[in-house]
Amino acid sequence: MGTVSLHDLYRKYSDQVQFIKVYIREAHPVDGWWFGKGIMNTLLTLQGNKASRDLYDPKTIEERRAAAGDCEESLQYGIKTYVDEIDDPVNKAYAAWPTRLYLISKEGVVVYAGGLGPWGFKPAALGLAIQGYLSNG
Amino acid sequence: MTTITNRQEATGWQKKHDEYAPNVGDIAPDFELRDIHGQNPVRLSDFKSQKPVALIFGSFT
Repeated sequence: MGTVSLHDLYRKYSDQVQFIKVYIREAHPVDGWWFGKGIMNTLLTLQGNKASRDLYDPKTIEERRAAAGDCEESLQYGIKTYVDEIDDPVNKAYAAWPTRLYLISKEGVVVYAGGLGPWGFKPAALGLAIQGYLSNG
Repeated sequence: MTTITNRQEATGWQKKHDEYAPNVGDIAPDFELRDIHGQNPVRLSDFKSQKPVALIFGSFT
């Protein structure tokens, strides 16, 4: 189950499913719940994970859009990114922080509601939900 | 929401908002969002009767 990526799902289903990446408030910025101290800083450096070492939580919508653009460019999912407003209305409505996946039917009903990230963030489970929904549609 | 600085704050935020998050079978809350340039607004309801929608929430870190 764990080997399915969002990129895999997008490649397989993008003609049948609308994928929307919603960029929300940062999970572990330098000025927040940061994991980049001590040995972790060394590991992040070795991994080339610049964002986890340098990114401060955006304070304005312009800063947030810029960070979202950097994220989109870095991850290369192929999925277009949209940006939540600075007061987090969509994040709050979906209790999405730090990461979460949903599948919404054509009728606007929740078909799959993933668990809260990081442990509940399961692209493979979303893939099964998509497969099930399309096969029943 | 202010920047979360520790596990306790994170758990508190999640507990507060998860209670009202949509579950399977619920109508998904509509929204309007713009792209990274502040352009091209999109609404969840734009896709009603057209396509199912996969929502992927996350950030850079």
